[in-house]
Amino acid sequence: MKQWVTRLGSPRLALLGMALLAVGAGLSYGNPKTISIWVLVVPMALLAVNLLSAICTNPRINRRPGLLVFHLGLLTVLLLAGYGRLTHMDAHLEITRGAPFDAGTIHDVRKGPFHRGDLKDVKFIEGPFTVDYTAGMVRGLTHNHILVPDHHGGWVSKDIGDDRPLLVNGYRFYTTFNKGFSPVLTWIPKGGKPITGTVNMPSYPLFSFRQENTWTPPHGDKIKLWLRLKTGMNVKKDWVLDSDKATGTLVVKSGDKRVELNPGEQVRLAGGVLRYDKLTSWMGFKIFYDPTLKPLFITAVISVLGLAAHFKQKFDAVTRHLNVPEQGAGDGEAGYGKIPRGRAV
Amino acid sequence: MSTTPYILPEVPWLWAGLGAYAVATYTAFRGIRMTASTAGAAVSRSYEHIVLMMLVAGVALLGTALAVRWDRLGHGPFVNLFELLMSQLFSLGLVYTIVYWRIPVIRPSAVVALSLLWILGVWELLLRPTDSVLPPTYYNKWLWVHVGVGKVFLSLCLIGTGLAGVILLRAKPRFAHWFRHMPSNVVVDNLAWRFMLLAFVFHSLMLIAGAAWAQDAWGRYWAWDALETSSFLTWLALGMALHVRFSYKIPMRAGAIAIVVVFVLAFLTYFGAPFYSQAAHKGVV
Repeated sequence: MKQWVTRLGSPRLALLGMALLAVGAGLSYGNPKTISIWVLVVPMALLAVNLLSAICTNPRINRRPGLLVFHLGLLTVLLLAGYGRLTHMDAHLEITRGAPFDAGTIHDVRKGPFHRGDLKDVKFIEGPFTVDYTAGMVRGLTHNHILVPDHHGGWVSKDIGDDRPLLVNGYRFYTTFNKGFSPVLTWIPKGGKPITGTVNMPSYPLFSFRQENTWTPPHGDKIKLWLRLKTGMNVKKDWVLDSDKATGTLVVKSGDKRVELNPGEQVRLAGGVLRYDKLTSWMGFKIFYDPTLKPLFITAVISVLGLAAHFKQKFDAVTRHLNVPEQGAGDGEAGYGKIPRGRAV
Repeated sequence: MSTTPYILPEVPWLWAGLGAYAVATYTAFRGIRMTASTAGAAVSRSYEHIVLMMLVAGVALLGTALAVRWDRLGHGPFVNLFELLMSQLFSLGLVYTIVYWRIPVIRPSAVVALSLLWILGVWELLLRPTDSVLPPTYYNKWLWVHVGVGKVFLSLCLIGTGLAGVILLRAKPRFAHWFRHMPSNVVVDNLAWRFMLLAFVFHSLMLIAGAAWAQDAWGRYWAWDALETSSFLTWLALGMALHVRFSYKIPMRAGAIAIVVVFVLAFLTYFGAPFYSQAAHKGVV
């Protein structure tokens, strides 16, 4: 039995595992959908078994504290990374200004089979945003103002954006480049109750030339909507995209009818009246959840520190040989002292 | 089409710095050829002193070029190839100069290490000094840690490769006498692997800091983008090389070739991967 465990912890198997992992990493470049996750899982599992066996049986590892910490750390990193993928969640979300977060509206959800987080406890309300642009339409910092509960039954403003996500219950909400504008519309059907909602236009300014969408009201015909925005956009100069300062004229087309509406104006269409109440904005978020982030980071750092401590110990042991001054130097060996061909320098 | 002029305020400092590196490289070659034909170690030391002074001057001048550019643009040299190369020329030179000063035994290997540095130097001279804009994801504090330890990693790799180059060149009769004042291949090999061991530590730290930055900047700590994949492959290659070196008896020349291979992979990670993938570490509009 011990012989088998020793074989499982052999350096040859470690090399095989690393070579397979290198192949898996190469195949995983760009996350192609045609490549199975098993190209990474199999070598990682092999390396985990190899590491565990080597830690248990190899005295060159388990009798050297620094090296032991490094290998234990590597094993823990592998296990944590695996657990992280089993419990993680990624998703996207678009929220209109003034709207509270609604877990039912997230999309592109990808999560591990053991994901147990609960988005229902997450509460925040989307607010206005500003995004800095420099000449040439290069995006700068995003400032997205949201309202979050203040633990006293009220709400408090918070500025998030780019690398400053909102952290709630282990979930991280990142703003994205995907953001834009939405006309707030009220549909007043003949003999029915008015309904109010928003239609998100494509991302701005990425699709500034194509701010269009369609909407079909209840018991009405399909309506084509174009938004003519005034945001101060200037490709040649620095400018700030400010959702509070943007204005827009809405072009409505239904059947043969084409009308331009400013906020507060309305048009009678087949089946009812469409009113353009005002212009608002929306922000696209990326949601990320992985309970192993902190442990993974701490373990990785401790692991490397263990390796560094091991090297320092080894280096200190042989440094004196290298600092002997040169003497004679005729044959290229004299004077520097001979460092034995160590296997673990 | 870029309209940036060639002569920006930082460019004369850059040229001056490269000029100092050129003198250092020339002196290193001249010194090693002179001492190869004479027996005096004292002659060797006088050349080494000039190399050290020129390296110090080059680092100072390149540091000034970086400072001038930084002040002009308002951000560090993190974005386009021109400033990345300038920054690497500075940091590689800085670490190499410190090691050259503190560990005299490596000095003859400067002919290899400085020659490799000139790949970046010539490349830099061929580039137009375009301005850059810092993407929003580059304001993160982890960027500094990631870049800092990454520069130390590449510098240690350069030094290790310089020593590996000595072992490989010694096998050629034409160059064998160039390094007669260096210790035996056993010692050089040992020293080269020490630098690669340290490089492994700093590469590991670079990956950790990079993952922390990526988590903040892009909302994921690992996504197999061009740079992540390439740097992980480099880390694995270095890990495998170290494993082989310290687990088996391998010929010193094979070990030296392994070090060179790792350096090539690292070089491609730094100066290849970010430029064949538009998505790698770039902000998106």
